[in-house]
Amino acid sequence: MSVTAEQTGPFSHVPAIEPAKSWMPFGSLRRIRRFYDVVAAIVVVLVVLFAMGPIVWTVLTSFKTEGEIVSRSFTWLPKSLNIENYQTLWERSGYPRLLRNSAIVTGLTVLMSITIGTVAAYSISRYRFRGRSGLMIFYLVIRMFPFTLLLIPLFIMLRNLGLFDSHFGLALTYTTFLLPLCVWMLKGFFDGIPPDLEEASRVDGSTRLGALVRIVLPLARQGIAATTVFIAIGAWNEYVWALLLTTANGARTWPVGLQLMVGEFQMPWGVLSASGIISIIPIIIGFAIVQRALVSGLMAGGVKG
Amino acid sequence: MSDTVTTRETAATVRDDSQSTSSNVIYALIEGKYWAYLLLIPSLILVTAVVVYPVISGIWLSFHEYRLNRPALGRPWIGLEHYRDMLSDKTIRIALKNTLIWVTVGSISQFILGMITALALHRSLKGFRIAAVLVLIPWLLPSVVSANMWRLMLDSRLGVINELLSRIGVLERGHAWFTNPSTALYEVLVVELWKNFAFFTLFFLAGLYAIPSEYYEASSVDGSGTFQRFRDITIPMLMPVIVGATILRVIGLFNSPDILLVLTGGGPGNATQTIALYGFQTAYLRFDFGYAAALSVLALFCLMAFTVVYVRASGVTKE
Repeated sequence: MSVTAEQTGPFSHVPAIEPAKSWMPFGSLRRIRRFYDVVAAIVVVLVVLFAMGPIVWTVLTSFKTEGEIVSRSFTWLPKSLNIENYQTLWERSGYPRLLRNSAIVTGLTVLMSITIGTVAAYSISRYRFRGRSGLMIFYLVIRMFPFTLLLIPLFIMLRNLGLFDSHFGLALTYTTFLLPLCVWMLKGFFDGIPPDLEEASRVDGSTRLGALVRIVLPLARQGIAATTVFIAIGAWNEYVWALLLTTANGARTWPVGLQLMVGEFQMPWGVLSASGIISIIPIIIGFAIVQRALVSGLMAGGVKG
Repeated sequence: MSDTVTTRETAATVRDDSQSTSSNVIYALIEGKYWAYLLLIPSLILVTAVVVYPVISGIWLSFHEYRLNRPALGRPWIGLEHYRDMLSDKTIRIALKNTLIWVTVGSISQFILGMITALALHRSLKGFRIAAVLVLIPWLLPSVVSANMWRLMLDSRLGVINELLSRIGVLERGHAWFTNPSTALYEVLVVELWKNFAFFTLFFLAGLYAIPSEYYEASSVDGSGTFQRFRDITIPMLMPVIVGATILRVIGLFNSPDILLVLTGGGPGNATQTIALYGFQTAYLRFDFGYAAALSVLALFCLMAFTVVYVRASGVTKE
C-alpha cells in the first residue's frame, strides 16, 4: 500500500510520494480494518462452534457409559475414556460386516468411476470434437434428474439382471451420480496441465496412450487422488439408494444398518454415537490428505462450467 | 468452440503412410481422428445403461400400473391415469407446498450463512485456514450420522440443547422436537442449514479469492464505503459463482430426502412430506412403482422449470 523509500533502479532519484492525508486517511482506515477483523474473528469462532458442536458432542457421548447418558443429573463430560460402546459395536452388532460391504461397494464405485472417468475427461479436456460442448452440458444435466426417476427403473433393471442386493449392482447405480461429477472434476485438473509435455513426448515417438499413461497421469496424480476421495465419500455416505437396493442378508451398507439400529436397540445412544464416529473416521482422514487439491477441484468442476 | 481436430493430429497422419494396411486400422483408431471418441466410449456406454435407459423407462413406467407387491397384476398400460390421480391426491398438494418452503427457506438460509462465513474467512487472519477446513466437515458427513447427531442433541429427555435452553428458561423441560406439525419442517431446516451451508462458503470463498485486489484498491481511492464496495464490486464479480452454486444447491435440496427420511419420515402426519420423499416412500413403503414413477416425472418438470426460469432471470448464460 504505502510507498517505501527503498526505491532502486532508474527512478530511484524520484522522491517517494507521500499519500495526501485528505483522500487517504490511513489512521482511520486502519481502525476500520481492525474493526472488521474483530467482527470476522467473532463470526468465524461462532460458525466453527456451530459446525463442530454436534460432532464434538457425539464423540463425548460415544465415550460415556449408558448410566452417564441417561442419568437425571446431566453429564457433560464422560468420567473416563470408556470404550465399552465401541466394544459392543464391534462384537455384538454385525457392524463390521456392514462396514466391509460399504468398503467393497465404495471400492468398486471408485474403480469404475475413476478409470472410465479419466479417459473421458482427458478426451474432453484435450480434443475439440463434434458434440463436445453438448456432451459436457449433458454430464451437468444428469445431476438434475430426480433420483427416484433413476432409482425405480434401476431397481427393476438390477432385479432382471440378477444384480439386486449385490455389491457390484449397488456400485453400478452409484456411478449414475458419481461418474458425471468425476468427469467434470478430472477435466478441470487436466485443463490445468499444459499440453506441451505430451507433445514433446509424442515427438520423441511415444504413442498417444503412452503419453497419457507416462506423462499426463503422473502430473495429474494429486487431482486424481482428490477426485478419488470425493467419489469414495459419496459412495461411502449414500443411504437412500442402498435402503431400496440391498437387504440384511446381502450387500447392506453401514448407513442403512445404522439407521435400522436406531429402532432395533431402542436408542442406545452410546453405541449409536460410537458407530457414527467409526464410520466418519475414514472420511475425515481422506479429506485431510487431499484437502487442498479437493477444494480447487470442486471449484473447477462445479463453477467454471 | 470449434469442431475441428487439433493440429496435433497431422503428425500422426503423416506417420500413418509408412504402416502396413493391417495395422492401419488399429493405428487409425489409436493415433487417428477417432482417438477422442474412442476414449469416450466406455463412459457413454455406462451412462446409457445407468442414466439414459432408466430415465426413458421411468417415464415409460409412469404410464403403466406396476405394483411390486401384486405381481399377478402384471404391468398394464393405463395411459394418463396416474397423472389424473395426482390432481385429486391431497398429499401432493401438501408435498408441493412443503417442497417450496424446504427449497426456498433452505437455500436462502444456507446462502446467507455461507456468504457471511465466506466474507469473514476471506479476511485470512491467523488460524482461518484450519477454520475453513473445520467449517466444511459437516458438508462431508453422511446424512444418516448428521441427522442422528442432531437427534441425540435434541432428545426430549437426554438432549443437551433442551438441557441448556431449559436452564436459561427459554424452553420447558421435556420439549419434544419434530412433533409440532406447524414447526417441524423448520426444525429440520436448521439441521439442513448446519449440514450444507458450507457448500456456499466453499464456492464463495474461492470466488472471493479470484477477485483481483486492485478493484478494491481503486474503489477505496474513490472513497466508497464497505457496503458500496460489496454491492458494486463483490456481488457483480461473484455473480457466476452465485448462480452456479445456487442452482446446484436448489437441485440438492429438492432431490435429497435423506435428512427428512431419518428425522421425521414425512411426519407428523404429512407435515414434512416433500415431493422427493413422497416419491421414494410410494415406491419403498407402498410398492406402487407406477405412481412413484409418475411422481418422479412431476419432480423432473419442477426442476427443469426452476432451472430455466432462474438462469434466464439471473442473466447469466452458461458457456
